Order: sequence, then structure tokens, then C-alpha cells
Amino acid sequence: MPRYAMVIDLQRCGGCGACITGCKYENNLPEGVRWSNKMTETLGTFPNVRYYYRPTLCNHCENAPCVRGCPTRALHKVEGGITAHDPNKCIGCRYCLVNCPYGVINYTWNKPHREWENDDAVIPDCTMSPREQARALNVPNWPLYNPDPDYNYQAIRPTGVVEKCHFCRHRVVNGELPWCVEVCPCDARIFGDLDDPDSLVNRVLGLFRAEKLRPELGTEPRVFYVREFCPCVYEAGKGMI
Amino acid sequence: TDTAHAAPGVMQGEWKSSFCTGCTTWCSLQVFVVNGRAIKMRGHEHSQTNSTYCCPRAHLALQQLYDPDRVKTPMKRTNPNKGKNEDPGFVPVSWDEALDMLADKIMELRDNRETHKFVLFRGRYTAVNSMFYSSVPRIIGSPNNISHSSICAEAEKMRYFLDGQWAYMQYDMPRTRYVLSWGADPLVANRQVSTALRDWGEVLDNARICSIEPRLSGTGSKCDEWLPVKPGYDGALACAMAHVILTEGMWYKPFVGDFKDGENRFVQGETVDEDTFEENHTHGLVRWWNLHVKDTTPEWAEKLCEVPADQIRRVALGFADAAPRCMVWVGGGPGMQPRGSYASMATYALNGLTGGIDNEGGVLAYNSNNYHGLPSHDDFIDSIAEEGNQKEKIDQRGRLEWPNLARGVSGGGVNTNNVADAMLDEDPYLPKVGMGYFANFNFSCPGTQRWAEAMKKFEFFAHMTTHASEMSWYADVVLPVKNCMYEQWATLSHSSHRHTSAAISSPMVDSIWDAKAMETEIPWMLAEKLAERGFDNLLNFYKTFKDPETGREPTTGEELDLYSLKIRTQRYWDPSKHQGGDRFNSWDEFKEVGCWNSDEYEYRHRWSNMGTKTGKFEFYSETLKEALEKHAERHNVSVDRVLEVCNYEARGEMAFIPHHENPYEWGDPEEYPFKFVDYKSRLNREGRSANCAWYNEMKDVDPGDRPYEDVAKLNPRDAERLGVKDGDKIRLTTPIGNIVTTAALWEGCMPGTVAKCFGQGHWAYGRYASKVFGQEPHGANNNDIIPADNDRLSGSTAFYGHIRLKVEKV
Repeated sequence: MPRYAMVIDLQRCGGCGACITGCKYENNLPEGVRWSNKMTETLGTFPNVRYYYRPTLCNHCENAPCVRGCPTRALHKVEGGITAHDPNKCIGCRYCLVNCPYGVINYTWNKPHREWENDDAVIPDCTMSPREQARALNVPNWPLYNPDPDYNYQAIRPTGVVEKCHFCRHRVVNGELPWCVEVCPCDARIFGDLDDPDSLVNRVLGLFRAEKLRPELGTEPRVFYVREFCPCVYEAGKGMI
Repeated sequence: TDTAHAAPGVMQGEWKSSFCTGCTTWCSLQVFVVNGRAIKMRGHEHSQTNSTYCCPRAHLALQQLYDPDRVKTPMKRTNPNKGKNEDPGFVPVSWDEALDMLADKIMELRDNRETHKFVLFRGRYTAVNSMFYSSVPRIIGSPNNISHSSICAEAEKMRYFLDGQWAYMQYDMPRTRYVLSWGADPLVANRQVSTALRDWGEVLDNARICSIEPRLSGTGSKCDEWLPVKPGYDGALACAMAHVILTEGMWYKPFVGDFKDGENRFVQGETVDEDTFEENHTHGLVRWWNLHVKDTTPEWAEKLCEVPADQIRRVALGFADAAPRCMVWVGGGPGMQPRGSYASMATYALNGLTGGIDNEGGVLAYNSNNYHGLPSHDDFIDSIAEEGNQKEKIDQRGRLEWPNLARGVSGGGVNTNNVADAMLDEDPYLPKVGMGYFANFNFSCPGTQRWAEAMKKFEFFAHMTTHASEMSWYADVVLPVKNCMYEQWATLSHSSHRHTSAAISSPMVDSIWDAKAMETEIPWMLAEKLAERGFDNLLNFYKTFKDPETGREPTTGEELDLYSLKIRTQRYWDPSKHQGGDRFNSWDEFKEVGCWNSDEYEYRHRWSNMGTKTGKFEFYSETLKEALEKHAERHNVSVDRVLEVCNYEARGEMAFIPHHENPYEWGDPEEYPFKFVDYKSRLNREGRSANCAWYNEMKDVDPGDRPYEDVAKLNPRDAERLGVKDGDKIRLTTPIGNIVTTAALWEGCMPGTVAKCFGQGHWAYGRYASKVFGQEPHGANNNDIIPADNDRLSGSTAFYGHIRLKVEKV
């Protein structure tokens, strides 16, 4: 059984957000929900200013607080160490939102893609209403509907439960990379098996001192960060008093 | 219901060839199509340019395709009054009725011998555009095909007068050792974004990178040094760098040449005898030094551009030390300003000094796309048309005050934004019948108020568009067009990684809208309508677009769409026409792959073969001298008079060299203390993605920006002085108007400037782009406050450097 992990090379990351968008359509995410996300920071004062960008997603912790705290075992560990979620068992209690130290679990308050059930056309009779378009395309609720995640999750999660990144489990178990990895135009995301000594994740982890988010909590994330978003050089000096 | 997912897990579908129209890079793409529906995007696996890599824009294209507010049927206005506050009262009509109306109007022009009063506006387009954009006006009899080019990139093309390239360039990132990203944002916008994202992680390892721009851009956030240059002073900074490189003897001698005795005579303030220097592949270095660069010290520049002299010196020397594997990546910033031509040339001249031109790790021309020509319309121009075609163009190009020297020709380039003024002044005349496609000039051109008035003056305007937009609001008929990435046959090409790739799209998805292809099907249908009215030249012209495989004449618009593409790509798939690059044995074989790649770029083949007057890289531009002299001669004036009328400071020999000009500004500095910095989002599909839900939701991928907002960024120190807090509503006022927007305090914004992204503020583009469609925009359009002004030598509209404004809390 593999142990899946992702390494994010921040130096390669362009901060473009293609991973966020790619995830949105691969997993049919409703508006406002991001499984793949980012943290940014602007530090310094003009003209010595730096902008930092760090992509985030479920860390698929080995010691996952969301799993431990789930009263119905809706959150559970599956093949390869993926932290999976079963919407049929989920009662929407949101303990996991509280327990997750990374803020990567989402709760769906509204009916997903309900904007496509709207009957208003901006120009009556000349443009379609969203519902009319969805019907014409023969999709359940939104034009980009991707049925794939149905395979081992649920293509569109219902209202009143949580939802989260599953490392594109539907793809991974079929020998495909998570879609955020495929769409990354910077090759900043590297996915693979920690148990395979030749995997690229292991090769990269052997090159750099990898960072895990909030390691002091002992969650043992399976998402590792290497290098700096903005490595740069400066002229050496000892500063002054 | 489409639940066609097959166990196990990953759906069966097909990756179909396409390209991206999200910016002018035109990356080669592939679309994952399942049961007639496009659901995923990626770069093209057969492309040697962007390969499988694509920037975030490509994904947004899916939401453009399935935008809930696409026009589904031709429609006509029922309210005869035109204006921003007049609801057109659109009602559906048949294609027949819509085109009957248009054809009647065109025939009226022909009957009255005023065919020149027909105008065709072009925004984005595909590689067969000439069969519509050029041929339709000419065959009807009008000189007025007006492209958007002058609001796009003309000023950076002033490099033509140094190295003969009136074109975009490619940048050899994998081999470079120093990048000066100058008023450009390669990781974010225009051009080669996909390739830049792919390569940048390694460029950071191999090269030193400086971002020269007033705000901290996406690229600026991933570079070694940020040089915040005061808007309007790029030319001074560039000339100071040239001064350092020359005085320190750091120019690249194999390209530029050297003093005959090897002794460096470039000493600050001292003129040099031209005979002492022998140039290799350049021309006029010493004259440039003597006329200007001898005095452009870093200390002089610091006072103007506010970049410290020691930093100018350090960066210049580091850059030259990497020569020739170095590049100045010149974007629109330095040039798209009144008087910007000379700054654009000054920044680009550094490529010549360091030999980073046409060289490993430097700036390269595009490889040819080898497109095959389309049939000529010459035989279909009758006497009425010929008479009309002789009339002056509506944009006034070529007049004394509009040199627009594209490729060195007086009046050679378009003057997009001046059409509004020309129409308002009815000078040279008032057009009567207009068509526009994939264009929205009354949103995308500075000085939108002028366009709002001008658009009212058309007797009849047909807008061809996927979405109703601000331009449609003034239209008499709106003709829904296909999204050319997914719904028709089309091709576009692009260059990067020392190749050109040309990819095709095809009708790959089920079109649920009654839309037609903009450059083929609609003109065909119009041609049929004109033929019914006794004027069959256009139809007969299109009948010459025979299928190169079978020799068959097209009989429908769909056939014309396919045959025109087959003709354009014939050199790829017809072995008898092959001229290099990938070779396919048949149309069917090419169609399956969908992407052709050129041969690899040959370095240094343009050295001393630059396409300039001397063939050399011209620091003293004989090419510009000739162009200006010809323009002056045409108007019987001196070159100095041309420069005076066109609002440049240069006189005499200065006119022919890169140099610093003081920025021309709108607004009194006392009343308008700030300068405005307009920029582009990494999610802008040009100006067309604001109605994508993801655009709004993910706007925070632009450094300093916020989701669902259209913020104006202020430096916190300025904000404190003004009593403005983050999130406050502020009014930005320039001499031509004001907009209200939300303040975002950000250290990445240079004090004294306000930075705001272009792309929002649509009042008629759909449910997400507008708060109330047809009435109230979401966000604010920068072009409402940018005064209409121009860099008149290049013909470029000005977007930077000239805009003074005041900021008030609302």
C-alpha cells in the first residue's frame, strides 16, 4: 500500500492560482468553496516589500485531528493514507472544522450550484437563464459537471455536510495524478509515494529541508513545502549598530 | 442526464486541440470533451512552445463558454433612442431578418456612393481574420477596418526602429542569466505567461531578476530586486543604465564592437570622435553617446525616476556582466505613455548594448508560423468600391498629428481610440453603418464618455459578440457568435521556447446557442444577402475559397469555415506545400494532432540582417529618421514641426535616438497629487472575463487584490495622511471624470501612486460583471478616468504615466 504525499516547491510556484481553479472544476466545488487554497502575506515597508504566496490544501495528516474527532466516522482514512470523507455518514456537526488546525475543511451552507436554478435571463428571450442553459446541456446542476468524483466520493456533496480535498482519490486510485498537480503550470506540485525510495517526492525531500505546517501539533502532515517563494540574493554585509 | 462516468473512476472523453484567446500569447491548448461538453483544459501535448502547461486564464475559458448570459439568438433593438440610460429593448429576430437589415443598409451606402461610411471594428480575432476584416470593407468599398491594435501593444513595437521588429518577441528564459522585466509582468500578463510560469522556478536559480515597475507585480514578487520607478521616468532610468555600461566598458564587444585601439573613451560629459570606434552589428553608438548618454548619469536619473543611483549602477553592471545571456523584457509600461516611444526605445536599447538580442538567453524574434495565404479579394473590387476605398480612413491616421509609424510607414498603424473623436467631429466624415466583432471599444478605450456619444451616431450598428456588452447597448442588431476556442474551425499561433506552434480548434462541443462563426459563417450569410440584392462580389470572392483537398467550392458558411482553415494550414498537412517544421501527410492526420511546430530558432541569424535601414541594431535610428522625414515631407513641414505637433520634446538629432522625455501629464500636480497605475489581472481574459464567477471569486490571486472586489491600492503612508482606512469607499478623480471604489492599503504600492486593475466596472456584461445588468457596474472601469491621449509616433493609446488624480474618502 503506498503512502501518498505532496511536495510543494515554493520556488517553482508562480502564485497563479491555477490549482485553485483546476480543483474547482475537477471536484464540482460550489461558489465560495476552495479545497485548494492559499495563504498570502505582504511584509516589509516600501520599497523593501515582499509578497509571499503559499498554496494550501488538506494535509492528509497521518495523525488527523478531523478523523479522531469525527463522531460518525464520516472522516476516515483510506488507501494510501488519504483522509476521506463520507457525506452519507456526515451529520454536519462541524467538529472537524474546529479540530482541523489548517482551516481546509468546508461546510456547505447553501444548495451547491443553486445559481444554476435561477430563471432570470439578463435579456429576456435573447439570453438563456442559467436553468435553461443547464437543461440544454443535459447536466444535473452546472455546465461543467464532472461525474468522476462519484467513483469514491460524491460528485456534488449535499447541503448541510462538510467537504474537503481527497487528493483526487478518484484519479489517484486509477493511476492518475491529482488534478491540481496536472494543471500546475509551474511543476510546483509533486505527488507520489513516500514508500517508494525512487519517487520524485522522496528525491526532492532528500534535497531540501522540508517544512510542514504547524509541526508542533504532531499531526504529521503529508503535504511538505520546500524552498522559498521568492529566493533572492543580496550583497553580504554585517549590518551596523 | 449526463452521468457518463465509467467505472473505474476516470471518465472516458477526448482531448481535442484548441488554443487560448485569453491574451495575445495564444497558447496551444487541449480541451477535454465528454459527450459534447467541454469540462477540462490543459496545454497542448503536441506543442513545443507552452507544451502541456497553461496559465490560469485557460481554465476560465470554460466559464466563458458556459456563461449563463451568452446571447442565444440574433436580437434587434426596439428602442430607437440610444444612450447609456436607454434600455435597447432587445427582442429576438431570425438570422434572416437581422442580416436583411444589415444588407439593406450596406446596399443603401452602395446606391448612394458612400460606401466609405461603412466601418468594421475588430477586437480579438483568429488567423483567417483577413477574409472578413480586410476583405469585407474593401469589397463593399470602405477603407475603414479598424482594429484594436493601438490600445494593445504598439508602443513596445517601437523596437522596430532599433532592430526591425514591428512585432511581439519571445524570450529565451531557459538560457538567460539576467532579466530586467520592464513595465512587463511575465508571470501574470501578456505575453508567454504559460511558458514564463513553467520556466520561472529555474530562471530564479540561473539568473538575477529585476522588476522595474511602479507597483509590486506578480513578477515583482518573484524577483531579486524591485526597482519602483516613478511613472513616466523609465527613459531616464534606461539611459542611466546605458551610461554606466558604457563608462565602465561593459558593453558586449562581439556584438557592438570596440574602440579601434581598445581604450574606452566613454567618459562622463565628454564627446567621442566617431572615427575612433568600430561597430560590428550596431549602428550609431557613439552618436547616441554624444547626443545624450554622455550626460545621463545615475545621479541625474535618480532625481527624476526616484531609483537610487547606487542601485541603478549595481543593476546596470550586473546586467552587463551577464551579457550576452541577458534580456530586457519590455512591456507596455514604458511606452504606452504620451511621448512613450523614446522610453520604449531606450529600455530596448540595453538589449543591443549587451548583445542579448537574437542570442542565447536573450530576446528573440518569432519563428515564422508558415501560414499559407488566403485568396486575394483584388478581383472583386468594382468601381464603386474602388472609389470608396480611396477615401481617408476614419481614424485620421497619417495626418500631421498622427504619424502612427507602424513598420516605418507614415499612417501605417491604426488609431483605434481616435475614432470616437473623429466621429464626434465628423472629420473626415460621419460613418453611417458599423459592425464590430469581439470588440468593446466603449469599455476598453480610455475616455469612455467620448465613445458613449460616438456610438449613438451610427445610423445602424451590428455587434457580433458572445455576450451582450457595452458596445451591444448601442447596437441595432446583435449577432451571437461562436466561441472560437470550442465551437468552430479556427487557428492561432504563438512563439516561445524557440519554436512557433500553431494549433487548431474545431466544432467540438454541442452548441446550444444559435450562434455563427464570426469571420466565416456570418460574412458568408451577409454575402448571400448582398447577392440577393444584386451585389454578388463578396459571395463570388468567398467561392474562391475552395477545399484544397477536393477543389470544391464552399456552398455554406460552415464549409467556408472549414475550407479557409484548410487553406491557412495547408503547408502543415499538404506535403507538396511543406516549408519546414512538423510534417503531416494529410489533412486527416493533421486534424487528429491539431498542432504544428516550427523548426527551432536559429540564434544570431539576424545579426547585421535586422530589417533596419542599415541592417544593424540602430542606436542612432536611420530607420526612424527616414520614417519621420517621409512623414514630414508628406505634410511639407520639418521633422521638428512633426515632433512639436505630436507633443514630443525632442528636436533636431534627438528625434532619432532613444532618450528621456519628461512625461506629459494631465492635471495640475497641486490639485491632482497622485499618479494612477493601471495594470492587468492574471485572470483577465483581455477585458472579457469579468462575468466568469471564478474571476470574482478568485481575484485575490493578484497580489494586493481582494475576492469579489475591485480595489484601488494605496500605500498605507498616503492613506494615513488622507484619513483613509482599508475597506473605505474612495473617489478617484482625474481631469476627465471620477470613479468610486474600495481602498486597499498595500505596501506594494509606491507612495504617491494609486494602483488599480483593469477589467471590472462593466455595466452591461452579464450578471456577475454588473450589479444590475444594463444599469450599475460591479467595480469601476479605469477607462472612465484615464484621459484619452497618445504616443503619436507608435500610434499607441496612452494608459500610463500621464494620469494625475486626487483621492477622497466618500
